[in-house]
Amino acid sequence: MGTQTLNNRYTLTQSQKMMVFILSMSLYGLSNMITELVPSAYLGPIEFSIEYFAFIPLTLCILFHPLYAAIGASLGEVIFGEIMLGQFGGFGELEKFIAFSLAMYIAGTFVRDPKNRKQVAAAALLGVIIHQAISATVDILKVWVGVEELEAVPGLAESVVVIEGFSFLNDVLFSGILFALLPTVYLVPRLYGKIEPLLGMKPRDRNDRYSLTEIIGPRLIATGILLAAAAFLFEFLSESGFNVEWEADFLETYGDWFIFVSLGAAFIVALITISVMLSKKRKTQHLKNAKKEEKVS
Amino acid sequence: MKPIIEIKNVKYQYPGADKPVLNHVSLSVDKGDFVAILGGNGSGKSTLCKLINGLIPHYYVGDYSGEVLVKGMAAEKHKVAELSRHVGYVYQDFENQIVSPKVIEDAEFAPLHYGLADYHERAVHALDVVGLIDQQHKFIWQLSGGQKHLLALASILSLNPDIIIMDEPVAQLDPQHAREIYDILKKLNDEGKTIIVIEHHTEFVAAYARNVILMDQGDVLFKKPVKEALNEVDVLLEHQIYPPQVTQAAAKIGTSGILPITIGEAIPLMASIVECEQNTVHKLRTEDKPLVTFEDVTFSYKTITRERDQVLHDVNLTIHQGDYIALVGNNGAGKSSLMRLITGLVKQEKGQIALDGKDVRKTPPEHLAEIVTYIHQNPEHMFIDDCVKKDIGFYMKARKDPRTEEKVANLLKQFELTDLAERDSRLLSGGQQRRASLAVGVGMQPKLMLLDEPTANLDIATRKHITRILEELKTQLQAVVIATHDMQLACEFANRIIVMHEGRIIHDGTKASVFTNHNLLKKAGLNPPQIFTLAKKLGWERPVYTVDDFIELYQSKEAWDGVHA
Amino acid sequence: MEYTRKFTEKLSVEQVKIELLNTAYGNGGTFFAKLDPRTLFLWYAYFGIFPWFIHEVMVLIGMFLFMLVTTYVARISPLIIFILCLGLLGQGGYLLIASLFFGGDWTSILPLLILTLKLSVISLASITVFCSMNPEKLSNGLLKIGLPGQISFSIAYGYRMLPTLLEEYHHVFQSFRLRGKAPEKHGFLYINTIAYFIKLAVLSFYPLLLSTAKRARTTVEALETKGSMYGFNHIEVKKLKLAGLKMKKRDYYFLAGSLVYMISLFLFL
Repeated sequence: MGTQTLNNRYTLTQSQKMMVFILSMSLYGLSNMITELVPSAYLGPIEFSIEYFAFIPLTLCILFHPLYAAIGASLGEVIFGEIMLGQFGGFGELEKFIAFSLAMYIAGTFVRDPKNRKQVAAAALLGVIIHQAISATVDILKVWVGVEELEAVPGLAESVVVIEGFSFLNDVLFSGILFALLPTVYLVPRLYGKIEPLLGMKPRDRNDRYSLTEIIGPRLIATGILLAAAAFLFEFLSESGFNVEWEADFLETYGDWFIFVSLGAAFIVALITISVMLSKKRKTQHLKNAKKEEKVS
Repeated sequence: MKPIIEIKNVKYQYPGADKPVLNHVSLSVDKGDFVAILGGNGSGKSTLCKLINGLIPHYYVGDYSGEVLVKGMAAEKHKVAELSRHVGYVYQDFENQIVSPKVIEDAEFAPLHYGLADYHERAVHALDVVGLIDQQHKFIWQLSGGQKHLLALASILSLNPDIIIMDEPVAQLDPQHAREIYDILKKLNDEGKTIIVIEHHTEFVAAYARNVILMDQGDVLFKKPVKEALNEVDVLLEHQIYPPQVTQAAAKIGTSGILPITIGEAIPLMASIVECEQNTVHKLRTEDKPLVTFEDVTFSYKTITRERDQVLHDVNLTIHQGDYIALVGNNGAGKSSLMRLITGLVKQEKGQIALDGKDVRKTPPEHLAEIVTYIHQNPEHMFIDDCVKKDIGFYMKARKDPRTEEKVANLLKQFELTDLAERDSRLLSGGQQRRASLAVGVGMQPKLMLLDEPTANLDIATRKHITRILEELKTQLQAVVIATHDMQLACEFANRIIVMHEGRIIHDGTKASVFTNHNLLKKAGLNPPQIFTLAKKLGWERPVYTVDDFIELYQSKEAWDGVHA
Repeated sequence: MEYTRKFTEKLSVEQVKIELLNTAYGNGGTFFAKLDPRTLFLWYAYFGIFPWFIHEVMVLIGMFLFMLVTTYVARISPLIIFILCLGLLGQGGYLLIASLFFGGDWTSILPLLILTLKLSVISLASITVFCSMNPEKLSNGLLKIGLPGQISFSIAYGYRMLPTLLEEYHHVFQSFRLRGKAPEKHGFLYINTIAYFIKLAVLSFYPLLLSTAKRARTTVEALETKGSMYGFNHIEVKKLKLAGLKMKKRDYYFLAGSLVYMISLFLFL
């Protein structure tokens, strides 16, 4: 709980993690609500809009512990930008949540020295690129899964890739530079050393490293997600199983249902895992521990 | 009686700080006591209170030594959560302590998370105690500032703690609400709870507390019964604490024996004092051209229940050059709305507002900003750049003023900010922030300045400093409007006082016409300065607004007596 | 200028509060609003995923019709449904044009329509479910199915803090406006003015980062004193919090009804 000492290098106390989480959630959530409310301009299929203020989570991931800042930001987006505006999209959010947290986390760990502008700039772009790449991959996969025998339809596969590729470039160049690169490079040096004491922390310094257990391969993330999904199911089964009102007759009827549900859950898990792994292969081996993400605390 | 809190030889230093904030503090508080902690900014009052619920040393890391016992439990060996069941803490920035969207949910939050099955009953009871039971299903956003403060109190009362600590309970409240919250604390104290408040307003201390702790620079200077403590006028003044006005006055006129600390005590002691004749010079005001005119202005906004809330009703008002106006009245009387209308940031529903001959409705706020500046109640809303210097120069720089640097340097000097020029405005202390926000406002070179509660949340010494600075501003500005609950400020600064009540201007006059009108004071919920009330109760005919006035009149009376004796 | 005024008005704190309340509690009285969140999650778990793996057109159409009925029962405004479907069709349209460009032909229409249909079913299912849950129900439901307590706390905290944060953002933004100087010329397509305001929107976050950091500190301290570091994931606390959640007859009937409908779709089509 609250008890700890701050002798170790850059280990945060539970409460400090919570502070970073709340800070990131509130601010990125607020910015999301603002960007949702600002209308966007279309030029044919190209959308000129403020897609997101990625600089907020990027800045926080670079200055603080990237894991909690990243998860806080993603959750902030879901809560302020989706649930509160009545746009919560269920499973779709899960995919966004994972992609965005992952991208921001990697960008945060990439920076060793927050005072080095080149590193900060590179990290900001990297974050946007990873996020957009995952989103594009998932979108392509969706068409893949959704259209039966995709190869049999001439031109469709190519067009999906081209359209997604185009929006990828558009987002990276437009949002990436204007709303990630420039503001992050402006903000990080200004806030470094100034914002940390407000949360009762020491600024990250050049020699701080995150413990290796946090940088983990894709296999762990996949198991993590599977376990989480399983936990979800078991929790549900056990809870409803012990429900007093649950009458014996119903159990039989619902037995089949649970098989369907678990099948469905398994499929979505597979889908996410594949997409994450595909994009991971090309990128980097920095990966976060998905299990930890479940325990933001 | 057995002490409920024992602090033994505690020393504490925040991480990164260069000197300890508490030096070998030893202290004990009895069960059922009502203690007020006095001390200037940075004396370690809040730190001391954080010892009691274990936030120090559990939550704040830093160098800690000594021992704290709360109800016999060693704070070091018990978690914050365990101690918090016995110690409730209401923060100065209590807004951030409220974490749930609805009133009842916030009151339930603590007992629920301690796993207490009767959490709902506890919450209902706590809301009942503070008088918020009718608001229980409201959203926090629907509450006024004072109600939020009461809710923060209810949310800790729901755990039924034995010790209640409140950090500056009345800093942001108008006098009526301030009294209300103290009456609740008194009731809780009568039920056997131990109450600890951090307080700058010694008049409340005199009226409610039983014992007083004086702190300075991390040391406890004394702990004494309230009467003795407030009688240490010299010691208090030396540490920038101002005893109640009656005590100050009694000390200055050399009352023998124990000094009075409340009006009730003062009257029999001073009954023999008579006011003397004195010629007062009335300042002549030149009636210049009007700077602002309001004609039948109404203003309302849509509330979340989709009804329109009428904030101003048919307001008519003219502000001339040379007007230094204090705008007074309870929270919610419409003071802030009136001022914001002048800035053009909000628009009236009906009526006409003209600022320096321009129709406010038709002129963009950006252009009005060159004539009028609004100083927010929370100075942080004024800080947009990353250091004091840049913040002050922002306006001039945007307009490419070639003399920016020189002007900024002058302003820094005028507001005693030169040493802080490179610091981030948001990281300054309350008084420094206030000065910086004033400098930002003056840096916009306006004709008219509007200030919202410029002395709220400041200790009395800082308050006096700001009052002095405001006095100097009169030469730089054509007119000033100050919305305030601080009647001492209103008396010292204003040559015109406008009283608002429920969206209407119910009086427009001077301090004399306001404070001598008993019905008006009652209706608008105003408390004149204590010394004014004292003089009146003593039967003096001439109104007295400051301790110095009182002494002056008294002294001349002595001289007068001397002549005729 | 006109545009920015409208925008700032839209962002006025009172207006946002009204909108939030409406979104959150607007659909309180419907059939779906009375169901247990677990029922809704379970139902959504099927209709939000399975359409991906169904390729029979008739079954998909059957599901789509079912979704139209549920959205009607949940009193979702038809306009929202229309805009949503139009958007999905539009996306399909771009794909179609692009695939024609890559040597495809009109035979691409059918698979794309099917894809759109699937997406519509999924979106309508999520609208039905999530618009029928007010924030407390959603967070209790999430807690019940085993998500960490921090998430339901965060949802509540969002509703608590948003107006405060927005107000502060508004003040800072106004300070920038009043003290800065908007460009003299609007530029081609208002580009100068738009760029200026976007810059302000971004810069306004600098002050907010610092003040929110201060806020976060007090909040976490208060959480600690309110026992929540202990209570977020404690089993007893969860039990107390969720004592009101009960599966009722209505829930079983609804799930059984949906099941029967789906089975008959597969059997008879």
